[in-house]
Amino acid sequence: MNKVYVSDSPHVRGARTTKGIMIDVCIALLPACIMGCVYFGFKALLVLVLSCVGAVGSEIVYNLILRKNIKEILRNFDFTSLVSGMLLGMCLSSNVPWYVPIISSIFMIIVVKMLFGGTGKNIVNPAITGRVFAFIAFQSVMISGWATPNIGAILSGGSEVTSGATPLTIMLSDGVDNMGISLLDLFLGTGVTGCIGETCKLALIVGGIYLVCRKVIGWQWPVIYVGVTGLMSVALNGFNFGYFLPSILSGGLMLGAIFMATDYVTSPFTDKGRYVYYIALGIVTALLRKYTRIEVVSFAILLMNLFVPLINAHIRPRIFGAPTLLDKIKDKIAKMKSKKQADKEVQG
Amino acid sequence: MKAIKGKRFRRGIHIADKKQYAADAYIEVAPVPQILSISMSQHIGKPCQILVQVGDEVKQGQLIGKADGFVSANVYSGVSGKVIGIEKRANPRGMVSDYVVIENDGQYDSVCLEPLADREPNTIKERIREAGIVGMGGAGFPTAVKLSPSTPVDTLVINGAECEPYLTCDYRLMIEKTDEVVSGIRLLAKALGVDNIIVGIEANKPKAIELFEKYDDLTIVTLKKAYPMGSEKHLIYCCTGREVPVGKLPADAGCVVQNIATAYAVYEAVELNKPLYERVLTVSGECVKEPKNLLVKFGTSFQYLLDYCKYDNTNLAALIAGGPMMGSTMISSDYYTRKTDSGILALDDTQADFIAPSPCISCGRCASVCPMHLLPMSIDFYTQAGDYQSAAKYGGVLNCIECGCCAYVCPARRSLLQSITLCKSQLRKK
Repeated sequence: MNKVYVSDSPHVRGARTTKGIMIDVCIALLPACIMGCVYFGFKALLVLVLSCVGAVGSEIVYNLILRKNIKEILRNFDFTSLVSGMLLGMCLSSNVPWYVPIISSIFMIIVVKMLFGGTGKNIVNPAITGRVFAFIAFQSVMISGWATPNIGAILSGGSEVTSGATPLTIMLSDGVDNMGISLLDLFLGTGVTGCIGETCKLALIVGGIYLVCRKVIGWQWPVIYVGVTGLMSVALNGFNFGYFLPSILSGGLMLGAIFMATDYVTSPFTDKGRYVYYIALGIVTALLRKYTRIEVVSFAILLMNLFVPLINAHIRPRIFGAPTLLDKIKDKIAKMKSKKQADKEVQG
Repeated sequence: MKAIKGKRFRRGIHIADKKQYAADAYIEVAPVPQILSISMSQHIGKPCQILVQVGDEVKQGQLIGKADGFVSANVYSGVSGKVIGIEKRANPRGMVSDYVVIENDGQYDSVCLEPLADREPNTIKERIREAGIVGMGGAGFPTAVKLSPSTPVDTLVINGAECEPYLTCDYRLMIEKTDEVVSGIRLLAKALGVDNIIVGIEANKPKAIELFEKYDDLTIVTLKKAYPMGSEKHLIYCCTGREVPVGKLPADAGCVVQNIATAYAVYEAVELNKPLYERVLTVSGECVKEPKNLLVKFGTSFQYLLDYCKYDNTNLAALIAGGPMMGSTMISSDYYTRKTDSGILALDDTQADFIAPSPCISCGRCASVCPMHLLPMSIDFYTQAGDYQSAAKYGGVLNCIECGCCAYVCPARRSLLQSITLCKSQLRKK
C-alpha cells in the first residue's frame, strides 16, 4: 500500500494558487514597466529594479531574522512582495535619488506588511503606503522632480529629460483649458510628466485586460472607480464634460484603479461590498483632487482601505432562502396595515 | 413531456465532470465475495438491533438488523450463509458501529417480502419502511420518514442531476432501467399523495433526458451543468423556482426530493417484493483500469471491488468513498459497501494533491462561489480564533450545505470545510 492523502472534502481542488495569481499580476504590470523604461530611460529601470530588490530582499531578510529555513522561505515565496515592489517603483518619478526606492520599499514591506503578519494580514496596501511614505519623507525630491519623457532625445542617444509640473497639477490649478496637451498624448503618455508607470495609459489598460481575461479581477471594479471619479470631476466643475476624459487619463488614477484599488487583501471580499467601496473611492478621489489640488489617488485608496473591515462586517450577501429586501418591506407594510386595522377596531 | 429548461442558481462552480470513464459501462452484476461484513448503521439515525447470533444460518433477503426507532432502517442479508462474527468497525467517516460478518455459502437461498395486497399510499409507505430504504444519494435519511412531511407538499422532485464528478451509477440506472425507475417514481408520488412530479436532469445527460421525455405524467427539467446542482435546496429552486426558507426543510417549500437510486429501490421493494440488500455503484478514477458500474451487495469489501475493476495503485493518491467533492477519503480500502455508497474512486496524483495551506488573501473567491451565499473566509477566520458565535453571525455557518465549492476554488488552499464542520460541531455542543 503506498501513501494516500486523507483530508476533509473536497478531494479535488481548482488549479488556481496564490502564487499563480501574483505571477499573473506581475505579467500584467510588465507592459507599463517597459513603457516607463522606454519613456524615461535607464534611470527608470534603475528605480524599478531597486524597489523590487528592496521589497523582495527585505521580506527574505525579515524571515531570516525570524529564523526560518532559507529553503522554506524560497518555497513559500508567493510573489506578493515582488508585486508591491514593482508597483512602488511604478509610482515614483524617474528623477528620484537611488535611496528613495530602497528606503520606501523596506518601509513598505517591513512596517506595513511583515509587522502586521505578512501576506494577507496587512490592513493597508503596502505599495500605496510606500508611495505615501516617499511623498512625505522625501517631499522636496518627490514634488519638484518630475521628469518629462522625451522620446526623440532617447532615440538620438541623448538622455535629456526636462522637468515640470504634471498635466494633472496644471488641470487642477488652472483648469482643463490650460492643460496644453492633447488627449491622445495623455492616453499614450508621450510628453506627459509623471511617474514611471502611470503615464502610458494604453499599457496599463492592456495589463488590466490581461488581468480580467485571467479572471484575477472583475472588469467592473476599475471601470466603476474610474467612471465615478470622472463623473464626480464633471459634477464638481459645474457639469463641464470637458473634464471627464482629462481627469480620468491624467495622474495615477488608471494605475491606482487597475492595480492598487483591486488589491485583494485591502478591498472588500463580497461583490456588494465592492460596489460600495469603489463608488466611495471614486467620490473621495474626485473630492480630494478638487479641494487639495494635488494628486491624491494614493491617499484616497489609503483612506478607503481603512474602511474595508467595516464594509466586510456589515455588507453581507443575502443568504440563499432568506427574505429579500422587497419581501421585508412588504412584510412591514402588511404588519403596519394590520396594526392600523386593529387600532381602528379598538377605536370603533 | 418535452423537457423544459430549468433555472440556474447563482454562484456554484463548474468542474470537469470526468464521467466519460464509466458513463458507457453497462451495469454489471459484481461477483460476491466469500465474506460479507454488513454494517448495522447504514443510515442517519439510530443503528439497528442485531437479530442474528454467531453461528446462525441466514438466507438471502433475511432481516438481520431491525430498525430501532422512527429514524432508523432495516438491514437485510444479501447472501445465504452462516454468521461467523459480529465485530465493531469504523466506517470511512470514522464512526464505529457493529458489523455482522456472514460467510457466503454460494447457494443464494432467498426469502422475499410478502406481496402487497394493494397500492394504497400507506401500504407503499409501510413497505418502504419495511424494506429498509434510505436516501441513496449519500445522506442515508430513511425514505419513509421523508415521505411523511409535517407540512403539506404538492411536488415530488426527483434528483437526476448527479452533479458529482466521476459518478455515473444514477445515469446508468436512468438509461438502462428507465421503466423501472419511472414506476418507482410513480409509487413515491402515490405514497406522498402528489400529482406534480418533476425530474431534474443535468444537461450533460442528453440520452437520459430523451428517454424520460416519453413519459407524459413527468415534467422533465433540463438543468444547467453546475455544481452543486444535486443539493436539495438548489434542485428545488432550479426545478420549481421556490427557495427553501433559511433553516427550514424542503417540505416547507412544498417539495420532497428523492434520488433516482431510491426510486429504483422502491420499485424493487413494491413490485418485486425485494428488500434493499444491493445497489448500483460506480468504481472509477484514474487508478482504475476498467471503470465500471456494478450491482453490489452491501457488505462487499472495497478492496474486492477495486481488484475486480483492475485497480493499479502505483500512482494512487487518494481513495474516496462517494464523490470527490463530498465523499470521504479512506486510509485503506479495508471498508465495506453500505446503502449510501454511490462510488469508490481511486484518484492519482494529478487529481488529488496536497498543497499546504497559505494565509488567506481575502480574494473573495469562496464567497463568490458559495451557493448558499455565505462568507466562508469569515467563518474560517472566526473559527481559527475560536469565536464560533461570530462565525455564525458574520459567516452564516449554520446554513452551510458542505458542498465544498469554497475549498475547491481557494487559491490559498485553505481547509475551509474543515473549519466549517469544526465550527458547526462546536456550536451544536453548546
